[in-house]
Amino acid sequence: MECQTNNPAARRFTVRFIVAMAFYAVFSILSTVGLLLWHPNGVLTWLLAILPALPISGAVALIGRYMHEEKDEFQRDVLVQALLGGIGATLVVTTVWGFLEDYAHFRRLDLLMTWPLYIILVGISYGLVKARYR
Amino acid sequence: MNCMNNPVARRLMWRLTITMVLYVAFLVLAVEIFVHYRPTGPLAWLLAVLPALPVIGQLAVFGLYLAEEKDEFMRNLQIQAMLWGIGATLAVTTAWGFLENFAQVPHLDLYLVYPLFWFFVGISTPLLKARYK
Amino acid sequence: MKNRLKVLRAERDWSQADLAQRLEVSRQSVNAIETGKYDPSLPLAFKLARLFETTIEAIFSDENG
Repeated sequence: MECQTNNPAARRFTVRFIVAMAFYAVFSILSTVGLLLWHPNGVLTWLLAILPALPISGAVALIGRYMHEEKDEFQRDVLVQALLGGIGATLVVTTVWGFLEDYAHFRRLDLLMTWPLYIILVGISYGLVKARYR
Repeated sequence: MNCMNNPVARRLMWRLTITMVLYVAFLVLAVEIFVHYRPTGPLAWLLAVLPALPVIGQLAVFGLYLAEEKDEFMRNLQIQAMLWGIGATLAVTTAWGFLENFAQVPHLDLYLVYPLFWFFVGISTPLLKARYK
Repeated sequence: MKNRLKVLRAERDWSQADLAQRLEVSRQSVNAIETGKYDPSLPLAFKLARLFETTIEAIFSDENG
């Protein structure tokens, strides 16, 4: 997970994750353009909407695969704690925001923001967990 | 998780029950006040956040359980189930987000992300357990 | 990781559930360790060794070693 790493599992993960995110970007554009311009009906709508969710599922699976491949069990443990922290924080934010949206006319949070929110919160949590072992 | 003679699991069940009761109570209270007094500004914000507090408590309870669980294999399994749960949840919210933005699908209330997550954790748990049979 | 848990259990005529109770873990956990699908942590490995009055090396063997 560090910038300069000679850990092959981490390096493979970084490359694969970037590839998955590139696919996410391309599929997002494809899906947006497709849904806006063609106004497809039925099955095609669903297919187009699901398209960008595929690289995200892939990215989550990549995190799992990295954990499996990472031979350094301490690093793996740090990552697991960071992921759990990220999950908890994401659920707190969406729940609080959800109630604010409904009852206090808060600005609507786009559902598409849940993925970047999760990644950012995992990142913050990773830093905090790391700091604890310094 | 499955045997109730495990004191940690029993504590978890108790604490979860308490947060559920608080959740229902806070939700009813907040809705009642909104209906009868129509508060605005910071008071409205505070009231809106009220039902979210037991949910946060519930997450903390689960965190405590993971920290207290003496059976490391079970803890590991639970964590794996949670990772699968978040993966499925994020896939659903992303697909739904596109449908909502561009295909006029009804808005998924954000607080439903939380039950959605536990729903997927619930599905993953027996599947993961079967793998170690 | 290879281990001799099954043999050690048989010597004492313990079921997986018996061992689980002594270790204060679930039966599934014992099964996962015994079948080599889950590697126990050091504290749990020491607990196992103490329970069978032997050393960790006498229970577990590193396949690469």
